Amino acid sequence: MKTVFVIEAADNVGTAVLEDLIRQGDTVGTTGRVTDVTITARADIPYGHKVALRPIKKGEQVIKYGLSIGTATEDIQPGDHVHIHNVESNRGRGDLAAKK
Amino acid sequence: MTEFFGYPRPDGSVGIRNTLLILAGTVYANKLCAHVAGLIQGAIAIEHPLGRTQVKPDLRMTRRFLSGTGANPNVGGVVIVDHFQELGCTAEDIAQDISPTGKLIATVNIRKSGGLISATEKTTRYAMEIARRLSDQRREAVPLSKLIFGMNCGTSDTTSGLSSNPATGLCSDKIISEGGRSIMAETTEWMGAETWLTSKAVSKEVADKIMAGVADMEARALASGEDIRGSQPTGDNILGGLTTIEEKSMGACKKAGNSPIVDYLDIAMPPGSQPGLYVMYGPGHGAESISSIAAAGAQVLVFSTGGGHTVSHPIMPTIKVTGHQESWDLMKDTMELNVSGVLRGEISLEQAGQMIFDEVLATCNGRLTKSEILKDDNSFAIHRVGISI
Repeated sequence: MKTVFVIEAADNVGTAVLEDLIRQGDTVGTTGRVTDVTITARADIPYGHKVALRPIKKGEQVIKYGLSIGTATEDIQPGDHVHIHNVESNRGRGDLAAKK
Repeated sequence: MTEFFGYPRPDGSVGIRNTLLILAGTVYANKLCAHVAGLIQGAIAIEHPLGRTQVKPDLRMTRRFLSGTGANPNVGGVVIVDHFQELGCTAEDIAQDISPTGKLIATVNIRKSGGLISATEKTTRYAMEIARRLSDQRREAVPLSKLIFGMNCGTSDTTSGLSSNPATGLCSDKIISEGGRSIMAETTEWMGAETWLTSKAVSKEVADKIMAGVADMEARALASGEDIRGSQPTGDNILGGLTTIEEKSMGACKKAGNSPIVDYLDIAMPPGSQPGLYVMYGPGHGAESISSIAAAGAQVLVFSTGGGHTVSHPIMPTIKVTGHQESWDLMKDTMELNVSGVLRGEISLEQAGQMIFDEVLATCNGRLTKSEILKDDNSFAIHRVGISI
């Protein structure tokens, strides 16, 4: 079974770090700090990219390294590719500051 | 106790190289310095676009970078060349800053010398005389506690935070356990990881300084009126799988290893005498960041990179490490170590940390980096805090 790497138990995403690329429909397990989650990939996951391990609702925090790496901009399902199309940074947002 | 063979300096510091530096005080001396360095064995030129008509805080920053670089223990002697003296950053000002190190220093002013050709001759003669004296110096065994170890990352991807960065942190831990000092900069990449970083600070005072440094850097980003995304993370970061600055920061901060943070340094300022991990204010710009670490006195730097890199400082050997097999295959011309076995489960992070430590020690003893051999010393850059006027 293909796997993704999970750094901390609190993480709701795992990272594809093996050269055997994950394709849509693949069954994917986990290694690292979390080993008991199995998901079905809902998209191709490029090398180095993240996949959701649990449902993450729009507005909830995406957790990696045990800490927030940003906010979900749409409802994310387990197996979804998690990247700039559905997560935005909470920091360094000069664009938001300029709107205030 | 681990030892390395280095060049002891009059001020008690130890170089891992015995470079003769031909240092441009101003943009208009650049080519003269490059030409002379080409004529003299063992000489390296540092060129840059600054040194004149800068607002005062910016000019002081330029002087800090140039003086700190000249004072770095890897520099055995230095010839500083300027064009026509400008108050606040003349060749004499820089020489005065470097003089407490006790190293060989000469200055040349192009106008006072009677123009370019005369100044080139004068610089060449000074350089030859200093090179003769440097060639008499020999390496001696010194304790590893003499080492200031720089750490930086760049062209980061997912592998950085999972393999090469934490392994670099373990190498830093080992150097610190032997009484050495480590410097980690790149304040932009602490954004989003502050809570974790400050939990490692030895005191509230140090934690407060870290928070103030991050707030200052974020304010500078916000003042642009633009979203930091696109610049941080960079396009290549995003392609590699990093989504936000927070994610990049957490991965970047893994370089801190498990050692406590003993103090916070302003950009390009030397650490105190206490062994341990120091964090330094500075931008994510790789060349500016490693130049600030070299100006603070670090003799060697490990550059952890997901995508592979050519980054290399002129006077501070820059060891490149990747945890990404494909990047190693593509970029191994200028890279020393491949720790991608961590992600395949072939080696532990501790083994990767030991590989990096062994490479650092060999480099301190005189092993050349690939970039040094290829003369690809591309990464001297001065941080700017003001405008040209």
